[in-house]
Amino acid sequence: MSASSSLKNAFLPNRSVDRTIALGLVAFWLAMAMLAWAASPFKTLPGPGEVWNALGGLWMQSGLSQELFTTLKLIAHALVLTVVISMALSYATIVPLFRPLVEGISKLRFLGLGSGLVVPFTLITGGGYDLKVDLLTFGMTTYFVTAMARVVVDIPRENFDHLRALGASELRILWEVVILGTLDKALDVLRQNVAMGWAMITMVENISRAEGGVGALIANESKHFRLAEVYAIMIVILVIGLVLDYAAGALTRVLCPYSQLERMRA
Amino acid sequence: MVANEVLFCAKDVSLRLGGNLILEKLGFEIIDRVRPDKITGQIVALLGPSGVGKTQLLRLIAGLSEPTSGTITGLHDKPMPAGTVGVVFQNYILLRHRTVLGNLVTAGVMNGMPRTEARDKAALLLARFGLAERAGFYPVQLSGGQRQRVAIAQQLVKQKTLLLMDEPFSGLDPAALEEVMKLLVQVRDMDELNTIVIVTHDIRAALKVADTVFMLGRDRAIDGKVASGAHIKESVDLVALGLAYRDDLETEPKFIELEHRLKAAFTNL
Repeated sequence: MSASSSLKNAFLPNRSVDRTIALGLVAFWLAMAMLAWAASPFKTLPGPGEVWNALGGLWMQSGLSQELFTTLKLIAHALVLTVVISMALSYATIVPLFRPLVEGISKLRFLGLGSGLVVPFTLITGGGYDLKVDLLTFGMTTYFVTAMARVVVDIPRENFDHLRALGASELRILWEVVILGTLDKALDVLRQNVAMGWAMITMVENISRAEGGVGALIANESKHFRLAEVYAIMIVILVIGLVLDYAAGALTRVLCPYSQLERMRA
Repeated sequence: MVANEVLFCAKDVSLRLGGNLILEKLGFEIIDRVRPDKITGQIVALLGPSGVGKTQLLRLIAGLSEPTSGTITGLHDKPMPAGTVGVVFQNYILLRHRTVLGNLVTAGVMNGMPRTEARDKAALLLARFGLAERAGFYPVQLSGGQRQRVAIAQQLVKQKTLLLMDEPFSGLDPAALEEVMKLLVQVRDMDELNTIVIVTHDIRAALKVADTVFMLGRDRAIDGKVASGAHIKESVDLVALGLAYRDDLETEPKFIELEHRLKAAFTNL
């Protein structure tokens, strides 16, 4: 495909473009967004220069790096707990006994992380860091289990029969078909949950601000109506979110190269 | 080797699923075909129209489900639990997260074979099936024909004499069909006791490659409604008819006549 025809495809429905054009399109829309931001008529929206200066101030004087470390530590802790609990529950769905339990936990996602849950969680954990970890773990687990249990349930019966016909034990079948066989999908679910957890972080850190974190920092800056600082923190949150998403995607590509090949074939 | 030794026997096998009678008092035997000075296994075709219960029968033979009544036994009347019978499923299922070599080695290791021995056996089988260059490929990188060969090779890592194949001719172009038939003959003749049971509705391909054909079907009442579960309606000994182990069958009048007769019978099954 020539460069000009690929570029032409960018304007036509149901076409694909090559990688260079695709990157060019991303750059184009980023430039458009920056332009729209710079030319914004809304006085309440700080300009790019103001936000950039605010970011420098936050980094140098307000300890943004320390707050980021606190937040990242919190989400990493919650993520490890979420993965362990959710995987165990999802894999347990192969045993009929546990299916109603997993289904029930999945339904808890409709509770959200509203104030109704804060009181019992505070009473259980005593508040502070543990409260934030547990709330975040709870929130992510309900979504992780919902997606992952569906992945396990959707494994075709023939995949189990295939291994039985090969003489595999039920434990080996669990390992090959359920755990390794769905690893790429589990990593995809993890990727979505990292994004979800990251989106919940400001809310959770707002609930208990004692240990700091970017959520607490953004709440403090909002209270004082320092909008440039608020937007600077939001941009940092967005960039880190994108980096985490890319890292999760890269992990899938490294650990499960067949998954990428299947997508290309499809 | 003992001529006419019974290698497999299904006796009075019935299967009921969700209140529906799928198979009813089904019975057939597979015997060891002995040819002088030649190692020859067996290829048996189980023919039947779609929905008659062929795949359910395959699952019973493979030990993947239990019959409601009746017995299924192998050589020396031994039962055949899952894992003792090879099965190549219709869509050639493989472990998608393992390479071709990994699929074969895993099959060996799962059966208690030391990893090095499994690797040697796998390499041997891949070379034999013309897949040595694909050893490092993932299943998604294979063509349908290559996938089928890997699925067969995977079942042969552990020495299994009975290999079941669900619709092995489905969706193949004429050249690929010929390749598969050659491959089946190759596997058949690897061991005197090797027995391949093909479950198919492709009459012509089955007749060309098999030595015995069993027609699976159901009885019908006068009004045309199904009156029973499926059972063996007819068996054809192609060796006795002189229609086995030959490459020139398609021009043989007896073959053509038999094919037409079975095709006509198919509509009433």
